[in-house]
Amino acid sequence: MTRYQNMEQLTGDFYTQNFAKTAREGSLILNLGPQHPSTHGVLRVIVELDGEYVMRAEPILGYLHRMHEKMAEVKTAAQFIPNMGRVDYGHAMGWNWAFVGAAEKAGGIEVPERAEYVRVITCELNRIASHLLWWGAYLLDLGAFTPIMYAFDDREKILDILQIPTGSRLTYSYFRIGGVAQDLDADCIRRIREFIPWFRSRLPMYKDLVSDNIILRKRIEEIGVIEQDVCRRYGATGPVARGSGINYDVRRAAPYSVYPKLDFEIPTSDLKCARGRYDVRMAEMEQCLRIVEQCLDMMPEGEVLVKGAPKPSWKVPKGEAYFAVEGARGKIGAYVVSDGGKNIYRTKLRAPGFCNLSLFAEVSRGTILADAVAILGSLDLIIPEIDR
Amino acid sequence: MEALFTGLGALYLAKCDAAKTGQAFQAFLPAGFLVRAAERLLQADYHLEDICAVDCAEGYVVVYHFDHFETPGRLTLRVLAPHAAPTVPSIAQLFQGAEWHERETRDFHGVLFEGNPNFIPLLIDPDMADCFPLRKEEKARARAKDMLEAGEVVFCHPAFTLMTPDAPVEGNESGGAKPATA
Repeated sequence: MTRYQNMEQLTGDFYTQNFAKTAREGSLILNLGPQHPSTHGVLRVIVELDGEYVMRAEPILGYLHRMHEKMAEVKTAAQFIPNMGRVDYGHAMGWNWAFVGAAEKAGGIEVPERAEYVRVITCELNRIASHLLWWGAYLLDLGAFTPIMYAFDDREKILDILQIPTGSRLTYSYFRIGGVAQDLDADCIRRIREFIPWFRSRLPMYKDLVSDNIILRKRIEEIGVIEQDVCRRYGATGPVARGSGINYDVRRAAPYSVYPKLDFEIPTSDLKCARGRYDVRMAEMEQCLRIVEQCLDMMPEGEVLVKGAPKPSWKVPKGEAYFAVEGARGKIGAYVVSDGGKNIYRTKLRAPGFCNLSLFAEVSRGTILADAVAILGSLDLIIPEIDR
Repeated sequence: MEALFTGLGALYLAKCDAAKTGQAFQAFLPAGFLVRAAERLLQADYHLEDICAVDCAEGYVVVYHFDHFETPGRLTLRVLAPHAAPTVPSIAQLFQGAEWHERETRDFHGVLFEGNPNFIPLLIDPDMADCFPLRKEEKARARAKDMLEAGEVVFCHPAFTLMTPDAPVEGNESGGAKPATA
């Protein structure tokens, strides 16, 4: 029998002891993580259990905290771009875009049209790669080993493509203030064109093999229902909000770049459960292909970096700017406040995963521990993004 | 938009150029009215994007970004937390997502949020959580009006000088801290 009346008898660190203060008599306190495979990286969740049921849960953050916002204050805007690739390794292009977009907004810099298309293409390909990473890892969480092999096979093709213009495979720092670092060459475009039909042929197989699988359905249907008002109160965005039937996508709600010219749908689901979020992400991958296809056809010739693009020593003019993009996990925001000095005065990074995870405590209450893991995975967590 | 703020003692209301700043509207409120403002925004179906602080010469300007799922347009709320006693009320009872943002702001700037249900360090190790890495040195601080966009003023309390571009009385920087009744 566990009793928490005497704090001296308690083991555990600051967070466990703080959590145990309000624990009920007879309950079990369990630490998940920070080195637990189902917590994706170094997330730690303390749960209070009554048998198998989660009475209370508290995510503990900070194990991957690197203080990017401080680094932004000791570097010039251009020098800070490589940091953005390291905030979220899953969808690094989205973060690249959010930050350079905010700097461009503050500096009133126009981006050449070809660069806008290149940005959309790389960002959307990266979104597919991110969703594939989530898909494979989520199914791994749920006990299905094979899908991640297929997912990484496809993802590898995208990484090979993105390696050509960016030179990196994971932590891209490809965007520049005023454009992108390099144009997509003929070889790269050929590979993208080959990839689209290939990946399109894979999606029905994934549906047959995995999405319609009865074991998966029993694990994720009606699990972790997130009501729309929960999304509002916690600021959840991206597939988490769209999986609850909220038709909100920054690409349509606050259009940027060439997205208004492109024809694509915003998949939503009214299921509100883990299945809804799963369906939204699977449908999004198809939409990404549509976007990339259109961009390849519509992309004009020209420069990919604006003439007189800012040098590394460029100072962001006085003022403030908030720029948001739709990342794989939701709304990525960069808020810059500049006093016109060498470095940006204050940079705030809004991580979608941070808000999406914050609702876990409320949503997991009363579920079985195994379902709590299924909920955690359905939120698509990338811990470095949450901890920043 | 202005109607949302009637009777909230707003010090400063302004329309912003969304193309230039990414914000549609901004309001500077006395800290005492913050919770009531949040209550109205919750009723009007706004969602909380983020909370952060900017360390200015006049104090910590705590910035709340809200947006709307159905009618998008970023709404910025600001309150001032003086350097000497940086305390503002928590809105975590209304927007539960604010709990983490407020804890993060405490970690980075040392701004205290009264009423936060679990006010412990979030990102920084509890053993070194009082280092407040984003606090600036006195001489490195810039004035709020030199950085924050003034926008197209809808209402400005006569005693409020924090955001007004050319303050008639230079050096009087206590404007934001004064209680006001609008």
